Amino acid sequence: MAADRKRVAGPESSVAPLVEYPIDYQSWTPFTETRHDSHRQPEDLRPIYLKTGLISEANGSAYIELEKTKLTCGVYGPRPVKRAGQGFSDRGTLNCEIKFATFSCVKRRGTMRDAQEKELSQILSQGLTPAVRLELFPKSNVDIYITVLESDGWGSCIAAAFTVASVALAHAGIEMLDLVAGCSASYIPTSIPSSASTSESTSESSEGAGSITPQIFMDADLEEEKFQQGSIVLAYMPSLNQTTHVLQTGKAEGAIISQSVEHCVEACNKIFAVMNHALLESIDQK
Amino acid sequence: MPSLISPAERDYILKGIECNIRADGRQRPDYREVILETGVISQTSGSARVRLAGGTDVLVSVKADIGPVLVDPETGEGADKGQIICNVECAPSASQQFEGRGADELNNELTQMMTRFLSHNTTSLTSTPSNTTPSSTTSSHNSNGAGGINLSKLCIIPGEQCWILYVDALVLDYGGNLVDAVFMGTRAAIFDTRIPKTEVQDLGDGNFDFEVLDDAEDTEIVEGREDMPICVTLNKIGARHIVDASPLEELCTEAKLVVAVNRSGELCGLQKGHDGGIEPSLLLEMIQFGKTLGQTLIKQLDAKIKAEADADMVKRQNGQPVVKLGFFAQ
Repeated sequence: MAADRKRVAGPESSVAPLVEYPIDYQSWTPFTETRHDSHRQPEDLRPIYLKTGLISEANGSAYIELEKTKLTCGVYGPRPVKRAGQGFSDRGTLNCEIKFATFSCVKRRGTMRDAQEKELSQILSQGLTPAVRLELFPKSNVDIYITVLESDGWGSCIAAAFTVASVALAHAGIEMLDLVAGCSASYIPTSIPSSASTSESTSESSEGAGSITPQIFMDADLEEEKFQQGSIVLAYMPSLNQTTHVLQTGKAEGAIISQSVEHCVEACNKIFAVMNHALLESIDQK
Repeated sequence: MPSLISPAERDYILKGIECNIRADGRQRPDYREVILETGVISQTSGSARVRLAGGTDVLVSVKADIGPVLVDPETGEGADKGQIICNVECAPSASQQFEGRGADELNNELTQMMTRFLSHNTTSLTSTPSNTTPSSTTSSHNSNGAGGINLSKLCIIPGEQCWILYVDALVLDYGGNLVDAVFMGTRAAIFDTRIPKTEVQDLGDGNFDFEVLDDAEDTEIVEGREDMPICVTLNKIGARHIVDASPLEELCTEAKLVVAVNRSGELCGLQKGHDGGIEPSLLLEMIQFGKTLGQTLIKQLDAKIKAEADADMVKRQNGQPVVKLGFFAQ
């Protein structure tokens, strides 16, 4: 194969360009009194726009916006399992696939589903299955396809995925025990410890860092997540009072976890009201 | 290795757990016997093998390799840090359900879980905490990810070369409770890991060269290894939860909760699995239970690892050969 003559390659030791900000640009830090969006308090969620019926081909579909985070979901089913000879199952199966659009994140994502998306798909199926009455359609499959069009915060994407999938399932007319609402929170330290040292830190300073109690910021966006020490994503069924998924990363004390679980449950109840409203509207449209 | 369970068997296990008697005679919070040995593979920087009585057998190896630093193009972070790259693989021979591509999903799940709990505490979607202003000192205490390991110490030449720790876990036999075994093995393997010392020479003009010192006796430990978390998997069956489930108990599980805790009692991660729901109050109870159990487990594990290392040191000083028990020892 001849060398590529159409493109002029840069020198071998070149690196990707850094993003240039204007000189007077002040990036947000958690050490100020406000959140990134100054209208929000730490316990406030972003306003949710939720609408069904986006995809005409699908049995059910929904679109959710949490300010900048945008997701669409299409539900197909119940439809027969592709390879029916695999073995009889008296329960239907739920197949969930999430894909981040290549332009959805700061760094371009690949076109094929990568390992992280495969795991997220599994997490979503596990979180949605308790709510769906799968025993009503044996030998059948329900496919849920979620596309993230724009991602403003990893936690909020996953939480929104739960919410939009539940609404799409309900819109498709699939019988469910309850809707699954998703919510996320971040643990962000809002003060620099007084024992901060330079980069030759010994193990003492890392213990000093552990003693700052981070604040719980509900529904953190991308700028806020840069400073997070940990995060939690919770999926909850409000009517049955059951959590269907919890995912926590980063270090946190037990007390903070308990507090954030309570806050998330409260927030899920609020999101439940929004979901109901969206579904009632969709009936009125028909 | 069953992938189906009969309703009668399921009922038997359920009722047994209600009465605090499990199928093998254990009580709900009881772990099976753990056999742990470090330094079992000669070609690695560190290794460990964990066996749970009942069949689970996991081999974890840590290889330290030199490679270029991974710099986040947006924030410029990562130029002064090493990396930890994890991978978990279930050998097809471990269980009938793992043949061919059967284990792919499980491999991915375990790998992602390990990466999430051990590496930097943010995900790959977002960048690590930004350090754009020179006056900010947040970088000092964020160099330890949730895994506790000090990545800054793994850097050789800032901006160019660093140590990359490849942590590979191989599941040789499936007897239930893979997550706990993998993390216990990883902790032991990291404890066992010795990284060669490097000598950096300043060639002037901003150029650096380094040399790896080949002394087998003079090596460095992985700093921050005491703060590495281990996992406790709690399986909710009926209204109760058990620890260290056998394969049949795993088939009866409604919901599984993996609690990653470090020795100071901080939670380094939480993940729920399986298709059931957990009440929020039960969730908090399970987290608390897992945390306490995890801390006890870490203490016992550390004591055993230290005892083994001390015994090896004594043998070396006396000129006796250090013989490992090997793969077939019971």
